[in-house]
Amino acid sequence: MASLLRTISTGLRSALVNGAARTQIVRLSSTEAAKTEETKPTVRKHDVAVREQLSDFGRYVAECLPKYVQKVQLTAGDELEVLICPDGVVPVLQFLKDHHNSQFANLVDIAGMDVPSRQYRFEIIYNILSLRYNSRIRVKTYTDELTPVDSAFEVFKAANWYEREIWDMYGVFFANHPDLRRILTDYGFEGHPQRRDFPLSGYVELRYDDEKKRVVCEPLELAQEFRKFDLSAPWEQFPNFRNANPATEEVPTKKDEKK
Amino acid sequence: MSGAIKKSTGLTGLAVAANPHHTLGILYSKILRTLTKMPGDAAYRKYTEKIVTERNKILSSTKDVGAVEKAIGCGQVEELIVQAENELILARKMLGWKPWEPLIKPIPAKQWDWPPAQIKEPKI
Repeated sequence: MASLLRTISTGLRSALVNGAARTQIVRLSSTEAAKTEETKPTVRKHDVAVREQLSDFGRYVAECLPKYVQKVQLTAGDELEVLICPDGVVPVLQFLKDHHNSQFANLVDIAGMDVPSRQYRFEIIYNILSLRYNSRIRVKTYTDELTPVDSAFEVFKAANWYEREIWDMYGVFFANHPDLRRILTDYGFEGHPQRRDFPLSGYVELRYDDEKKRVVCEPLELAQEFRKFDLSAPWEQFPNFRNANPATEEVPTKKDEKK
Repeated sequence: MSGAIKKSTGLTGLAVAANPHHTLGILYSKILRTLTKMPGDAAYRKYTEKIVTERNKILSSTKDVGAVEKAIGCGQVEELIVQAENELILARKMLGWKPWEPLIKPIPAKQWDWPPAQIKEPKI
């Protein structure tokens, strides 16, 4: 079979000058299956050097601020997260902003997160950027409904509106904030819409009343029933990924080595 | 560059420093003096002393501003002054915070677990 193909291909090769056609024929002439390397072009590859650099920097931060840093981890392969206790918000952010080796001078965003099953249900997430070293870092802390967190306003002026947004959406109180008002919701709005126990339909509805000739605000007619927050499902969602890599990889710090 | 007067830093709001060697020298000595008040085994003190003494050595080695900028490699001399000012403020604040002490609050149980409600064994 191979010799037959080879004769055909040699005959054709003399006739064709086209390079593309020639490669096709050469492929036909081989009987072995071509070796294909297993590549997943849709999966982003991690740069080992960048990962090493980030975990080194995470260790550096943990070593400099052992009083506040609880854990350092890498998520999504190459994103550095520093998990701190809520008392350390101002010192850690100030250190990351002003230290010679970090210079994270830009506050990109402050995000909130609500996990009702936890003892401290809210997470506050600071994303900061260092233009000097072209690097990003994420600082996370936690709180509950009643405990105030120190405002980052004295470190980053940009924190003003971000913290107002979190106060509006989650009801996290920021101590020492210059102007802690609601920012996104309407005048007279009650509740914090991003909390998991806030009903999807809200508590009140607005409609135009023809008799009163104005918009009226009334309690909801179709109130949503109480929702139970059992996050575990009766079935397993992703059995193929049962043994997949964890979402986060902890960076071992000096503190752990001593134990 | 030596001798010629620098017109602009090219950065908004950052004026050309009149006497950068003098300003930087004072700032670095102030930082080092603040750091001596910290305990000797504090990692922040160790690392910052290393950075600042290194920069100070480069600064005192030459009178040429361009050579200093090139040797330190962290921007123009005006930016170096801003960095030193920031570090000085930070070091003074650090004296109050005392971040070299051991962890004040241990991690609350399951606080940083993700996913939060993990299915430990498959329920089939």
